[in-house]
Amino acid sequence: MKRQFGKWCAWAMILGGLYMAPRVLGVFELNVLLGTAIFALFSLSLNLLLSFTGLLSFGHAMFFAAGAYGTVLVLTRLSGFPLLPLIGIGAAAAIGLALLLSPLLVRVSGHAFAMLTMAFSQIMYATVMKLSHITGGNDGISGFAIPSVSIPVVGVVDMALEQNFYYFAISILGLSAWVMWFFTRTPFGSIMVGIRDNPERVTYLGFSVPLSKAIILCVSAGFAGVAGSIYALFQNMVSVDGVLGPLSSFSPLINCFIGGLGTFIGPIFGTGIGTILLELMSAHPEQAQLVFSLVLIAIVLFLPGGVIMLYWKANTRWMAVRQNIQNRFFKRRIYE
Amino acid sequence: MNAIAVMLITQAVHGLAYGMLLFLVASGFTLIFGMMGILNIAHASFFMLAAYVAFQIMAWSGNFWLALLLAPLAIAFLGILMERVMLRRIRRFKLGKALVLFELMLTVGIMVCIEEAVKNIWGTDPQIINAPDALRGLIPCFGMTYPAYRLFIIGLACSILILLSIVLFKTRLGNIVRAAVQDAEMTVALGINVPLVFTFVFGLGTWLAGVAGVAAGPLLTVFPGLANQMLLDSFIVVALGGFGSLMGAFIISMFLGELTAFGVQFFPGYSTIILFGFMAFVLTFRPLGLFGERE
Repeated sequence: MKRQFGKWCAWAMILGGLYMAPRVLGVFELNVLLGTAIFALFSLSLNLLLSFTGLLSFGHAMFFAAGAYGTVLVLTRLSGFPLLPLIGIGAAAAIGLALLLSPLLVRVSGHAFAMLTMAFSQIMYATVMKLSHITGGNDGISGFAIPSVSIPVVGVVDMALEQNFYYFAISILGLSAWVMWFFTRTPFGSIMVGIRDNPERVTYLGFSVPLSKAIILCVSAGFAGVAGSIYALFQNMVSVDGVLGPLSSFSPLINCFIGGLGTFIGPIFGTGIGTILLELMSAHPEQAQLVFSLVLIAIVLFLPGGVIMLYWKANTRWMAVRQNIQNRFFKRRIYE
Repeated sequence: MNAIAVMLITQAVHGLAYGMLLFLVASGFTLIFGMMGILNIAHASFFMLAAYVAFQIMAWSGNFWLALLLAPLAIAFLGILMERVMLRRIRRFKLGKALVLFELMLTVGIMVCIEEAVKNIWGTDPQIINAPDALRGLIPCFGMTYPAYRLFIIGLACSILILLSIVLFKTRLGNIVRAAVQDAEMTVALGINVPLVFTFVFGLGTWLAGVAGVAAGPLLTVFPGLANQMLLDSFIVVALGGFGSLMGAFIISMFLGELTAFGVQFFPGYSTIILFGFMAFVLTFRPLGLFGERE
């Protein structure tokens, strides 16, 4: 009961904090927060493959990019398209790409999966560059207006205002994260962990490993697409190097590892730490990535469980201390 | 001789030189992977770092040959350090299946670290290493003229290839290395200090990447993006040639070098798509690669 209460308190504080953020923070801090949230969702979608299914993807940015380009292309080509379906189109584009690739991707795992995803993201990079008359190539597409949303009771909400867009984006991102969390708690989530730990056994239990992998890939790609789509709207531009650059597939991976592998919320912590690090280093932007990579190496070498492990360790230490105090001051009295 | 033939042969020599450099990098890559099961993403970064170290040695001493001798040794030292201090440490964690993820991520971290360190130390502008006077200019041969430096690269790579095959196929050390590539556990059971052999192979692999990096300096300009290009190319070589297969790596390197040289001429922009498409196809349907014998 007490734990439940604490949990609800924490949730209320997080939601209240997110709600109050535009009133308290300036425009710059708000943008940093929203950017972090977008990359947190991207990292979470990658984590679905990495922590739960044990597949290391070196090309997850292609789904992010598919979402971004899908949304932006529809937005700029078709006028008068409402906002919410635009995000849906981003997700659909990423899922479509995942469906297209899944017959090949589900056959492999381990190193081969990493190399195959890397190959596909390179193909996508080259294709986007080649189709520069559609995608804008290196310059990308920019300067599009975000359509406003009309909500029945509230009226028309202008998305050009940072505040409104923030509320819209953060609710979509939060909802996506919650759906993903729920997805890991369903029986299918157990199959995911089963595939990670012992694929043969999953086969013997009567589940098709390739089919399950394809579903997981589509789900993961879909949420990466949502993140990419919101990213494109948020940045108001999409370019090859922005969404498909050399580091764009690695940085969510790094976030997952810094946060903590094998947990659901690890990537959120990792992304948050990454943002804090970048902001701390904002006086020396050239060294920021260097420090980031050193942190990653240090985490892998000395704290393989990630930052979240620190919390767990502190928690168990605190439990032990509490037990010790109880033993000393309460139990002894009983015995005496 | 007509102009087209001259052009074709010149392109072929260009391709051969690049293919040889690629083989030097990829052979270390494939040896390390075949033996230890570590896909060393940072391997191409060592190649790039070697070019920069050579540039620095050249700036200090002005002697290319000194750079060619010292820079690869420095890189090999770094590689050995990485193997002994880092990779060996995480092997002790008993991570089980997750070990692969951690090893890959560690090498990714080292890759980013090297790239960013290089950017911080030498800047992002391309640097130029001048070839020594003896290797400048053109060499007339078979009624044509070839750039001397490219011929030097081909010669250097060929001699290293011959040395490498003698060491690997004719000596006791080579036997041990090949045995450890085949089955590390069994080799340990025979009373051989396999971890030491691992370190040796890691050092050898990074040394080869270092030699390639120094040799590539005057040919390609030295800039941080060098690592990315080389990484992707050596990925293709290892995936197509088969993990741990030197012969496969050699054939695919030559093929890739020629394809890059002629692809620029005849179908610019598409060669990447074709290559990676082919790589994806091979990886899915024949994960051992075209010349690999085992998984």
